[in-house]
Amino acid sequence: LADSAVGTSTVLGNAMTASNNAATPRDPEWQKPKHTPTGQMFELPPAVTKPGEAKKFANGWEYSGSIEFGYIGGDADERSAQFRTYSDPGNDAHLNTFNFKLRQPKTGHYVELNGGGAARDDQYYGVEFGRVNDWKVKLYYSEIPHVFTDRYGRIWNGVGSGNLTLLPGLTAGGTANTAADNAAVLAAALANQNTTLALGRERLGARLDVNLWTNWKGYLSYAVEKRNGARPLGSVWGAGGGTAPIEVPEPIEYDTEDILAGLMFADGLTALNVRFSASLFKNNIDTLTFQEPYRIAPPAGVTTTPAAGAYTQGTLDLTPSNTAYNLRAEFTRKLPDFHRGYFSAVVSAGEWRQDDNLIPYTSIPVVLTNVTTNANGGWNTVGALSRRSADQKIGTRLADLTLSLNPSDALNVKLKGRFNETKNANDPYLAVNPNAVYVDADAAAAGNQTRGLTFDGVTGVWGRLINDASGNAVLLGANANPNGNTPIKAPTFDSKQHRFGPTADYRLTKSSTLNASLEREVIERTQRERAKTWEDRAKIGYVNRGLGDSTLRVSYEYEQRRGSEYRASTFDGLFSSAIFPMPTTAGTNVSSWAVRTNTGMRAFDLSDRNRHKGNLRVDTMVRPGLDVGVSLQATDARHPDAAYGRSRQVLRSANLDVSYQPNPSQSGYLFFSQQFGRIVQSTIASANANLTIGLVTPLGTVTPANAIALGAGPGGLAFPLINAWTARNEERSQVFGGGFRQDFKSVSLNADYSRSIGRSRIAYDYTVGGAINAATAPIAGSRMPDLATDVDYLDVGVRVPLSASWAVRLVYRYQAEKIRDWHYYGLATTPVVAGNVANLPTGALLDAGPTNYRVDWYGAMVQLKF
Amino acid sequence: FATVTMVTTIVANPKAPTPPLNGGATYIGEAVCIACHQVQNNHFAHTVHANAFRLNPKNEKEKVSCESCHGPGSNHIKDPMSPGNRVSLVGFTKEWGTPVALQTQMCLQCHDGGQRMFWQGSTHATHDLSCSDCHNPMAKVSATGLLKKASINETCYTCHQQQRAEFAKRSHMPVNDGKMSCVDCHNPHGSTSKTLLKADSVNETCYSCHAEKRGPFLWEHAPVRDNCLSCHNAHGSNHDKLLTVARPFLCQQCHGNAQGHQAPLFNSSGILGGGGAANIRIMSHSCQNCHSQIHGSNHPAGARFQR
Repeated sequence: LADSAVGTSTVLGNAMTASNNAATPRDPEWQKPKHTPTGQMFELPPAVTKPGEAKKFANGWEYSGSIEFGYIGGDADERSAQFRTYSDPGNDAHLNTFNFKLRQPKTGHYVELNGGGAARDDQYYGVEFGRVNDWKVKLYYSEIPHVFTDRYGRIWNGVGSGNLTLLPGLTAGGTANTAADNAAVLAAALANQNTTLALGRERLGARLDVNLWTNWKGYLSYAVEKRNGARPLGSVWGAGGGTAPIEVPEPIEYDTEDILAGLMFADGLTALNVRFSASLFKNNIDTLTFQEPYRIAPPAGVTTTPAAGAYTQGTLDLTPSNTAYNLRAEFTRKLPDFHRGYFSAVVSAGEWRQDDNLIPYTSIPVVLTNVTTNANGGWNTVGALSRRSADQKIGTRLADLTLSLNPSDALNVKLKGRFNETKNANDPYLAVNPNAVYVDADAAAAGNQTRGLTFDGVTGVWGRLINDASGNAVLLGANANPNGNTPIKAPTFDSKQHRFGPTADYRLTKSSTLNASLEREVIERTQRERAKTWEDRAKIGYVNRGLGDSTLRVSYEYEQRRGSEYRASTFDGLFSSAIFPMPTTAGTNVSSWAVRTNTGMRAFDLSDRNRHKGNLRVDTMVRPGLDVGVSLQATDARHPDAAYGRSRQVLRSANLDVSYQPNPSQSGYLFFSQQFGRIVQSTIASANANLTIGLVTPLGTVTPANAIALGAGPGGLAFPLINAWTARNEERSQVFGGGFRQDFKSVSLNADYSRSIGRSRIAYDYTVGGAINAATAPIAGSRMPDLATDVDYLDVGVRVPLSASWAVRLVYRYQAEKIRDWHYYGLATTPVVAGNVANLPTGALLDAGPTNYRVDWYGAMVQLKF
Repeated sequence: FATVTMVTTIVANPKAPTPPLNGGATYIGEAVCIACHQVQNNHFAHTVHANAFRLNPKNEKEKVSCESCHGPGSNHIKDPMSPGNRVSLVGFTKEWGTPVALQTQMCLQCHDGGQRMFWQGSTHATHDLSCSDCHNPMAKVSATGLLKKASINETCYTCHQQQRAEFAKRSHMPVNDGKMSCVDCHNPHGSTSKTLLKADSVNETCYSCHAEKRGPFLWEHAPVRDNCLSCHNAHGSNHDKLLTVARPFLCQQCHGNAQGHQAPLFNSSGILGGGGAANIRIMSHSCQNCHSQIHGSNHPAGARFQR
């Protein structure tokens, strides 16, 4: 099944497969364990049928196979999402694994069938047939469950569909009594809090591999994957985007087709691979329309909005169907007479396309009755849009060249160059409809007026309308006047990557090598804070296999990234400020033009970076049946230009492995991994101060020319330094475990145990009266509660052979998880979070989140081998 | 000059290089080998190598079976037990001591090109790994690939314990659940990417299973388009959804706008029951309670990824 070069689906199995493998007895005749060239023990092979002892049919076909089935009881029906995330255990009869092989020695034809987890959500099956060394066909089917939550408080009918209707007792658009609406939503959520939201991934595939001619091979594969289910998705509602978010169940009904075709040539001197791939993704549910249970009341003084209660539903535009195509050619040519070198070249070109039909800004026809696009239709029609479908395309290009030469027997030198590009092949989406003529009744001027491309039209794009709700009309209040921070055009993020440099490998002795590399990577990006970054890397490594029975591998790498001028606010050309220049009149509020992202902020993927990386690994054969491996990794990255944003990232890891296998009837292992990570970040909480022309600020007097520098500068009115805060995110993880297999004559006992501990602590520093006020500081303290996860796993098996063909395997499995996540504190009892029950809630967060579980289950499995 | 010489060399069409073998030994046939190595043959007989060599050999090299990998054995049988005579045969264990370069050369005689097109210069080759550091061609220990361990993942974990630990964290890819293998994303035999990815980029690797994230969307989120690893750990994480840092702090590493709600210090007082007013930007999906289409929005008003 596995193709290490192309495609996925390289393995068939499930969470029960490893348990069965561990119980398989080793071949008692294979007395002496051997080690890999690095010094790690080869696993002793299981007992096999000897040549000449294979079972045969009358027509000469040899056959063999095995099957394991039985019954599982105990707590395997546990519903916890953590327990069932990617597997489907259960208390019932269980066909765990089976395989059947046919082979015709005269011709080399064969058939192999295997599978497991029959009738469960993690079942898998595979069939392979063909003629060895000639052709083969592989067919496979595999299911992967993915449980997101088992504690979702459902308040709608239609979960899994694109149309959610409120349960009886809840009113679309709410009632005049918000307290009653809150109580009704709470009651419905608690009554249905055992709802599981999960995804099922079913993949069916076929692949043909064939030797076409001498040195030529070809392959053709097709796979179709269906994903069905639902998952929690945030959906903000009301008052312009910040009120009453409701966690809706997003339906998932995806179909993906993957097509691969390739030709491969290799004659020992020249190698060529040509590959075509296509990925066709279809989302069968384009939009999610959900009834909302709250009353969005018009703000005071608004007279042009629909009546309270008219906003009964919202619509989400779900992920669009898309296609991707790629054509790739890889060529390598050995140059035995030219410093025993070789030359390789790769070219790859592809395109991603998406052209979903767009939906209107709003589905409420009465919204903005006083602002209609008389030429093309109202805000609730696609006539108000600048285009009717997405029409998005991105082209990808890759070229990669390598020349390798051996100037001497000991030295190898390579020159490498790479170019990779992704480029939007379409015009960016215009949120303003340049063809529309908006007619409105402006409060500032009597009667309808034709404005052409006006701010009123722009306003409809963002803010109130996006929620399909809100009583605010665009012509009222501050919206009657232009502002500078309304998005009117989508950004396009093209990028070009150039990477080039030499590498050298020098053989110091027969058993040791030294390697070094220099590399420069230049990335050019559009619409990002930095148009260009360049990173220089230097790496040196050393390998020694000759340290007695040990192998040492060590490397160090230093990277330094710098770049062009950093513009913290890079989207100005995409805002309404591009249509409406910043006002210049003294006293005019220009905050929406001038106050953007803190100019001292640096995005960590673009900022200057100095990074050190170190790796060390030692493998030792302590005794013929005992080896030990130790590895250390460390990374330390600093961002020297990031006064605010991520300033440092540290990662450290230490690992120990012990393998013991003195003879075929005994084996054991131990492992331990310790990881530590730290990310330091800082920013300045906004003072939400207005910036007006002529205003005197700590950074100077505001003028149209310096407004942005003053408005977004650290230490200014918007970003007073007293509001600065720093957070340290620290991760600590330990994973340790061990296991053994002991054969007592014919009876085998095996056990595997592992424990995984994860701790995440976020500590923060701030000035009282700045980022946190004096009243809040005592309860805010200096950190968030720790995020904690403890996972235990124990699998014990006893295999008792009943005859040469039959055996019984008794299994005991213990799994437990303790989890603490402050994101979900209190949501099991208070999914409707409301500071005042008479008001719209802070949020209706219907997923109560992960919870602890502890599971013991037992299995009695019968094994038949033939 | 180098270009001219290289082109001339290609046009001259030289012979493919072949490894110098066992001091000019001659082939003796597998029957002689099996006479002493019966146990090895019991297992070798169940491998795809044995089936290819014995049931349908394509050339003279494959017909010699054992010696197609170990080289001609006539010098070996002259003094098979002497450690000093190990140079008379190519071995693939540390005990035997054949130089790794020669071991690899033997394998690539048949396995050159294809999936191994970029073995030379790959991270594994640079670290002087042998094919038999991962593979055991003599026995069928794994379901596929003649690996040294029972599965692809267990084989990779023997050196990549850091990744094994990450797959054991709170959120992880379904690797230890038997539903994915390291080779779904990586080509251990070499690729044009430094981390041995099968695809041209990190994102294209992720899209092979998460095609719905590919878009392109009407409104795109810069770090999403640039690199999925901006926010996610590929293997596993102590946080939900493989995130590198808990939200909202993850988002605040880039977002610090003065208008609205990007830059406040969201603190423990805002947790439900934390003593202060419960804060929607801390609870549950945090920023994604509202900005739920964070991978990109196709809604005409999706500039803020809310629809």
